[in-house]
Amino acid sequence: MSEQDTAVGAAPGELQTPSTWRRLWDALDERLGLKGLQYPIPEHANKLAYSLGGLTLITFVLMVATGIYLTQYYNPDPNLAHESVRRIITSVSFGKFIRGFHYWGAMAMIVLIGLHLLRVFVSGSFKRPREGNWIFGVILAGITATLFFTGTVLKWDQESLEALEHNIEIGKLLGRFGFWFSPSFGGIPFLTRLYVVHIAVLPFLFTLVVAVHLLLVKRLKMAPSPFRHGPEPEPTRPFTKHLAELGALALILIGVLTILAVLAPPPHGPAPIEGIEITKPPWPMLWVYPIEDWVGVAGILWATLAIFLALFIVPFVDRSPERSPRKRIPMMIAAGVVVITVIGLIVFAAVQPVASHIGMD
Amino acid sequence: MEERRNARRPRLARSLAVVGALVLALGPTTAAFAHEGEEDVPAITDVQEAIAILAEHPGLFPPEEVTDHAMDKVGDALESNDTLGVLLDLVAEAKDALDAGKTDDALALLERSIGACPGAPVIEPRDAPRTPPPLSSPCPSVAHLQGLDRSPVGGAAEPVLIGVGAVLILAGLGLVRRIR
Repeated sequence: MSEQDTAVGAAPGELQTPSTWRRLWDALDERLGLKGLQYPIPEHANKLAYSLGGLTLITFVLMVATGIYLTQYYNPDPNLAHESVRRIITSVSFGKFIRGFHYWGAMAMIVLIGLHLLRVFVSGSFKRPREGNWIFGVILAGITATLFFTGTVLKWDQESLEALEHNIEIGKLLGRFGFWFSPSFGGIPFLTRLYVVHIAVLPFLFTLVVAVHLLLVKRLKMAPSPFRHGPEPEPTRPFTKHLAELGALALILIGVLTILAVLAPPPHGPAPIEGIEITKPPWPMLWVYPIEDWVGVAGILWATLAIFLALFIVPFVDRSPERSPRKRIPMMIAAGVVVITVIGLIVFAAVQPVASHIGMD
Repeated sequence: MEERRNARRPRLARSLAVVGALVLALGPTTAAFAHEGEEDVPAITDVQEAIAILAEHPGLFPPEEVTDHAMDKVGDALESNDTLGVLLDLVAEAKDALDAGKTDDALALLERSIGACPGAPVIEPRDAPRTPPPLSSPCPSVAHLQGLDRSPVGGAAEPVLIGVGAVLILAGLGLVRRIR
């Protein structure tokens, strides 16, 4: 028996046979360098609030997996799209469940990435030298929102058609830069092009940006806790422990999504009809509905740009090295006002009657 | 620590009360707006709202409530001073259909009353602003697929999947406790 086979921690002179798991771990480590993942991270990183980004990434992987299943049955031809979704719900094995999982997973991804951004903001983790990584995080949030939007269009019901009509109107507002949103561009239907964006372009971009985001987290290390004072260094834990906890949290998430997908699968609206505008967007996009009521379709463009611009400039406005939220009261108030306004707009829109917006400018 | 937690509770309760009051305040306000000067609301808006109620609400509210609410809107449309872009004869037919409990027929009539054509395939959305076209030609006789509501998965898979979900949640909770 070689020295390598001796279990770590065995008393001197005492030889123990390593367990199967240990031998498997060693074998994998020898070939894949897994022990490189055991680098230390601060203890505070093993909290739920610091696992939201990881959970977002896990949800993205779940979306890809369920999305692959759905693409086997979905037809992106506008003539057949609505009926193919109907077929997934009513005839395909586990189709209703997988679609429900995809739907609730998308909701979870929006909530998780939103909370992750909020946590990074409140804990000041975006501060020097991590400003660049904040920008990548905001880009990821934008890609997630676009994935959500394109996904709502693909089901090709009345709500989808109206969403696409709004998209085309916004494209017109962009002038020559909105050429891609024109129905006449490309020679194939807009719905089919959006399908390609949803299943290929956006997941590719998300993967690319998240890889850079994770590399920067590793390179710049986790930001120190804003609530820790005193000269003594914070205790650390191996990153593998964080991964293990993330895996356990992912089990809870998958369990919740499974139950939601079974008990409350998403409805599917009627086949689209042109000439009417009778739906409201799903709740993550509902906050722009009252703004559209007040200023027209242009309101969607300006409000969305304003929110993302505000997020992009956060590290350049809040530049002090102070991370504690208690010592950054103006920034906390500003963020609170934005969050409460968005929630208020969603609630307001939910109780509003439906209204026609296209052509109201 | 416990004192601080207790001190936070009234603050949390106050915040929840404010949000609750806002929601309650906004609901009746919008309802009040909806009843003010009903004749001045364009008939096309009333018809669109009636369509929205009939097309999107089934499964969310009791059927009688959906019909009553849609009937109110249809009545408003017939009494509106601004009937531009609406074929009132079809709206009146829709009212009769609603009276007879034929909600699918009423929905199709309302859609046609503002120039929409249920059953016509949509390849690309038309340019806005959209003026409802006159019904110079009949709509295709293809069946128009109505919405599916949020009914559970059902069947033998339902309890199995719920069980799997519950096991995953419990396993996750157990592992989190063990790892911490």
